[in-house]
Amino acid sequence: MSKDLNMKVNVLPVTTYNFLHVNDGRLEIKDIELQKIVSSKAGIPSGVTLKEGVSFDEAGEVFRANKDRILALKEEMVSPNCETAKRDESQPIRTGMGADVDKLFLENGGTCDVYTVEENAKVAEPIVLRQDLEDGFTGIGSQVIHAKKGSEVTVVMAYSSESSASGFLGVSTRLLAEENATINLVKVQLLGNGYVHFDDIGGACLKGGKINMTTLELGGKEAFNGAYINLSEKEAALSSNLGYLSRDDHSLDMNYVADQRGKKTEASMQFKGVLMGTAKKTLRDTLDFKTGSSGSVGDEQEDALLLSENVVNRTMPVILCQEEDVEGRHGATIGQLGEDLLFYMQTRGIDEEEAKRIMIKARLESVARLIPDEEIKQLAIYYIQQIV
Amino acid sequence: MSDNKQIVADIDHSLYDFKDIENEKDFYRMEEGLTKETVLKVSEEKNDPEWMRDFRLECLKLYNEIEMPNWGPSIEGLDMDKISSYVRHKSDMKGKWEDVPEDIKNTFEKLGIPQAERESLAGVGAQYDSELVYHNVKDEVAAQGVIYTDLESALRSEYADMIKSHFMKLVPPTDHKFAALHGAVWSGGSFVYVPKNVKVEIPLQSYFRLNAAGAGQFEHTLIIVDEGADLHFIEGCSAPKYNVANLHAGCVELYVAKNARLRYSTIENWSKNMYNLNTKRALVEENGIMEWVSGSFGSHTSYLYPMTILKGNGSKMEFTGITFAGKGQNLDTGAKVVHQGERTSSVINTKSISKDGGIGTYRSSVTIQSTAKKAKASVSCDSLMLDSISRADTIPGMDIRTNDADVGHEAKIGRISDEAIFYLMSRGISEEDAKAMIVSGFANPVSKELPLEYAVEMNNLIKLEMSGNG
Amino acid sequence: MSEQSLLQVKDLSVSIDNELPILNNINLDIKQGETHVLMGPNGAGKSTLGFSLMGNPHYCVTGGQIIFDGQDITDISADKRAKAGMFLSFQNPYEVPGISMGSFIRNAYHAQTGAPVKLLQFQKSLKAAMELLSMDESYADRDLNVGFSGGEKKKAEILQLLMMNPKFAILDETDSGLDVDAVRTVSKGIEEYQKKKDGALLIITHSTKILESLHVDYTHVLVKGRIVHTGDGTLVDEINKNGFERFIKED
Repeated sequence: MSKDLNMKVNVLPVTTYNFLHVNDGRLEIKDIELQKIVSSKAGIPSGVTLKEGVSFDEAGEVFRANKDRILALKEEMVSPNCETAKRDESQPIRTGMGADVDKLFLENGGTCDVYTVEENAKVAEPIVLRQDLEDGFTGIGSQVIHAKKGSEVTVVMAYSSESSASGFLGVSTRLLAEENATINLVKVQLLGNGYVHFDDIGGACLKGGKINMTTLELGGKEAFNGAYINLSEKEAALSSNLGYLSRDDHSLDMNYVADQRGKKTEASMQFKGVLMGTAKKTLRDTLDFKTGSSGSVGDEQEDALLLSENVVNRTMPVILCQEEDVEGRHGATIGQLGEDLLFYMQTRGIDEEEAKRIMIKARLESVARLIPDEEIKQLAIYYIQQIV
Repeated sequence: MSDNKQIVADIDHSLYDFKDIENEKDFYRMEEGLTKETVLKVSEEKNDPEWMRDFRLECLKLYNEIEMPNWGPSIEGLDMDKISSYVRHKSDMKGKWEDVPEDIKNTFEKLGIPQAERESLAGVGAQYDSELVYHNVKDEVAAQGVIYTDLESALRSEYADMIKSHFMKLVPPTDHKFAALHGAVWSGGSFVYVPKNVKVEIPLQSYFRLNAAGAGQFEHTLIIVDEGADLHFIEGCSAPKYNVANLHAGCVELYVAKNARLRYSTIENWSKNMYNLNTKRALVEENGIMEWVSGSFGSHTSYLYPMTILKGNGSKMEFTGITFAGKGQNLDTGAKVVHQGERTSSVINTKSISKDGGIGTYRSSVTIQSTAKKAKASVSCDSLMLDSISRADTIPGMDIRTNDADVGHEAKIGRISDEAIFYLMSRGISEEDAKAMIVSGFANPVSKELPLEYAVEMNNLIKLEMSGNG
Repeated sequence: MSEQSLLQVKDLSVSIDNELPILNNINLDIKQGETHVLMGPNGAGKSTLGFSLMGNPHYCVTGGQIIFDGQDITDISADKRAKAGMFLSFQNPYEVPGISMGSFIRNAYHAQTGAPVKLLQFQKSLKAAMELLSMDESYADRDLNVGFSGGEKKKAEILQLLMMNPKFAILDETDSGLDVDAVRTVSKGIEEYQKKKDGALLIITHSTKILESLHVDYTHVLVKGRIVHTGDGTLVDEINKNGFERFIKED
């Protein structure tokens, strides 16, 4: 059954001037037939149980059951001006891309693989979800990673295809890190030049829970990436490192939110990227210090390297704050290679073009080096080298 | 300590919040609401040229068509049907202070305006409700060819064409709903023209007072600083507090020609029932310099983002601002800049303070168009939270369309450290004073940009706000 | 010593953004194997001269010429100067996050020679050079200059000098902020360079520590953008004792 997709995604937590075109992103595809991703049958390490093909709705149950804890607020909140939270209220767990992704899964019978990590199980071997897609593939897939108390797990998602391939891949990943549990989520996207791709993440950390994300968005014609992480209880933490490359006429649209509710939570979001050709990039990154988040810290840093005259770089860093005792910080450096750096390189005989190549590699490989799976790390590094 | 508070509260009232008893028969007040008839009446009152009357009607049409903004603070409490868009005293504008009607004169005396004029200003304009009541320029400044007058008389002078070609060209009525409203019912404000290469050594000032309850003030300020000229313009605003909403939807259009420099300073202390929906915009030509200094303390709700268009190559802008959001206030402020010319540069430096449940939002945009090669932009915004019932939000946006630009951005949010308070207290300073001192220090980058007497006024405002009596 | 000039600076004048002149009519003649020292009070323009010789675009040559190895290089970019055989050791080396020192040097070496780098051989000589400079091997894998101490940064510069083997090197305050041991190590590196390559040196310094083990042929004194005096190696000691006063008076 073919249909048209017309989704409003990556909605900024508070709206601002319309002329900036950052309030939301649009994912539109005409006449598409959606398949289900066949889950990769790589081995499931011990300490982890997998329930395949659960309905998308049912898979959200674990979040609904914990809703009071995830969304707990110490006191009455004063809302920021024009907040957009309401439109995602129907989601069992709020995600970066928002309610339209849930709707897509619900309406198309999308299913979910639920990975549950046993209490206190420290799973050393990563769960690898590898999809090497054909030209013309159009489909969606989703998973829930539920790490019970004191457990630790690493999930590596890698999506690739031939560089000339076209298609559509939509992924939803929902995460719950219970008390002192850690989820390491690694995502590598190396899809072909004709692919439309979305990667929607929603997560929550209970007391002492941690979510660490390493993301490489390198391929695809049109990519959307959103993550909304609730740091619900004391000492919950989010650390996100994202590297991207957008070139030719590609576009990349991102929305990252750290919702800090618990005491002494920590959020760190780092974005390093390169824009070339006529690429368009929009990055929204928000730290939201809610009432009761005393002692929390948050840091967002962006480093965007613009390598051609015709790129469009939109950056929308937001800090929302209703708590006195917090430290929030945002920094952005946007531009071409610094003259000083270029000169330094030149004094060592490296010309401008070579210096650019070196810096692209340096930026992206610094994120790629964080990939725990050796094979996928090499794949990513090889991909980067092919481009530069 | 209670004594101290008492004194502070007294200062507060004597300073801004006194209500003048308006003798009704001395004032003309338009009926509330906004219709074609009211707009035509304003036009008639003002003896508009025909083009201006038609322009007002066109603006009214736009006002009815344009939607309310879908971002920013709520303005639900503002009901245009309860706002009178035109109130004036039944006497003409005066060029001599003695001739200003007694009741109005008292108000401005209390605000210290005539004293300031004698001591440190090159010229003063004073607006009371919808009309200018006083306008004067020092002889030596007038002799340089500087024009400083009310916009209405300028419309009937040799500068009529200049005004027609600049009026609401920078802020077109299509810009947003309240720009359209302004175009329909504007009244009062100033026209300044500084001829080529004239440097005005001391500042000009306009003071705006909205005294009537349930009224709107829609003054229009048009300043043209010609090639190589230099001007500092200061704007002050205040109003007594009423229980009904007042509206301020002024418009400021600034033209800075080649090699010219304009500094525009504002200390805004509207009463806390004011909806301040003001639009300010500057167009800067080659190597021109636009400097904004902005202190926002008053209003119930503010939307204020002075915008600068750096059109000419090598043009520059600097914005220094402070916003203090106290109890019951929702102040949404910041700046906008558009880089068009090559080697243009902008620096935005803001401080915001939130206290007693106030909502302070820093909102900005930096746009670098593809033509703006070698542009440089830097934004630095710091917020200080003084308690946990207030809000401090930072919403800066950037849109960059050339790689040959250098853009840096820094935002920080935090509170006064306990160690700093302890250190000051260990030297015998009360906790309240220690906090006020630290907040003043935080505001220092802004106050040092102001002339001394305004810096003092700003520090007094900070002290008032800190003591909870603001 | 060959009579052929390696670097000739003729009446060089330099300003920033076409405004303030920083250097006026500088003349220098440096032959292969010679060691020249440039001294002068703070703000005299010493680093500016180093940057200008290497072609930093911040500094604008408003007059004069720079001839290197028979080629007029006044207008060519820094990378081409490096390829021609020039090297500048920075006073404040740039931090390059994300790229390891080892791979940076390999990249630079490749860029200069144009020939493919034989990996094993390269690793061997890098290791040897690092040993000479008492640098821990692990530095090769650390991001270039990131988190390096002042001394480590200077050593990393000298390491690059040894690996690149230029015909002529400018050392800008290579000894500043170093302790005695580090100065000795760095000097060892510089000696090694001279020995291996018979390279010429222009050493910008305001101390003599680094010069103790080197033979200095000429000393130039730079004051307010002008070379006000040129003498032999003994001038270094004299300045060290009496300071710049007499040159400033002369000026």
